[in-house]
Amino acid sequence: MHKLRVAQLNVEIDYKYETMTKQSEAYKCDFEKPDIVVSASDEAIEKMHEEYPHLSLNDCEYMLTGFIFYNKLLQYDGFMLHSSTVVLNNEAYMFSAPSGTGKSTHTQLWLKEFGDKAYILNDDKPAIRFFNDGIYAYGTPWSGKTDQNVNKKVPVKAIIFIERSENNHIEKMGATETLKMLLYQGFRSRGKTGTENFLDMSEKIVNKIGVYKLGCNISREAVLTVYNEINGGKLK
Amino acid sequence: MKIKSGYLLREVAGSFVVVPVGEETLDFSGVITLNESGAQLWKKLEKGMSKDDVVKEMLSEYDAPEDVIRKDVDEFIEKLTGADLLE
Repeated sequence: MHKLRVAQLNVEIDYKYETMTKQSEAYKCDFEKPDIVVSASDEAIEKMHEEYPHLSLNDCEYMLTGFIFYNKLLQYDGFMLHSSTVVLNNEAYMFSAPSGTGKSTHTQLWLKEFGDKAYILNDDKPAIRFFNDGIYAYGTPWSGKTDQNVNKKVPVKAIIFIERSENNHIEKMGATETLKMLLYQGFRSRGKTGTENFLDMSEKIVNKIGVYKLGCNISREAVLTVYNEINGGKLK
Repeated sequence: MKIKSGYLLREVAGSFVVVPVGEETLDFSGVITLNESGAQLWKKLEKGMSKDDVVKEMLSEYDAPEDVIRKDVDEFIEKLTGADLLE
């Protein structure tokens, strides 16, 4: 068993393949009692590999451990939002969309624009947790196809759902549409309690966080459209 | 008449949403949004009330003529049937 601290939770976890070994390094931590135990058995990993032969055992371990962790996270006022999350001036901008839309492409443009002031917190599967003093995003060992994640806790500034578009435009998203998008792009369990927790957290997002709908192309102007809208800025 | 089990109706931030829970989520990953009267209808059908009883209750709860309510209930049931949500 390895001991990690992820999203302010003590995680006892089994892994042996390359990706988890590498990705977990920055999260190692000692503790007495685990909050969450993540155990993906060899049988479960092999069964998944048989079902999806194009995924290696390494991939299966990575995906299964992430699935177990994020399932249990729902019991700790947290959930995973499928997004590429970029941090600027210690505030997290979470760009969410179905795979292949261009989340990472967009956040890479932020790194180009803001240089040292920005970094990727998690390129695909950050955790969000809800506390009395605020809502926070976390890097985790599970960051999709890339290894871009940082073991940090950052207040959430905004959640932005992306669509491809020829022109750049951004608008605030209404409550009902926000809920729909969170249900599509957030990870909830199939159980009733997990789903109820997820909906409680969705309500907090609607009430406390700026949520936007962005249509964007791949350009510097796309970055500025978002930045200026959210910060009332006038960057050109 | 009864709505299939495996769905959770909740009011979230002023919106009514129905999300699948349990096994149903395997073949349905969507979400249904309802207005307030839709949510009331859903609750009654969830309990397995007959169409006539639903109409009767809606009549006592909403200030609308019976033919209007009956038409709305019919349409709602039609939509649920189309989405294969009724037993």
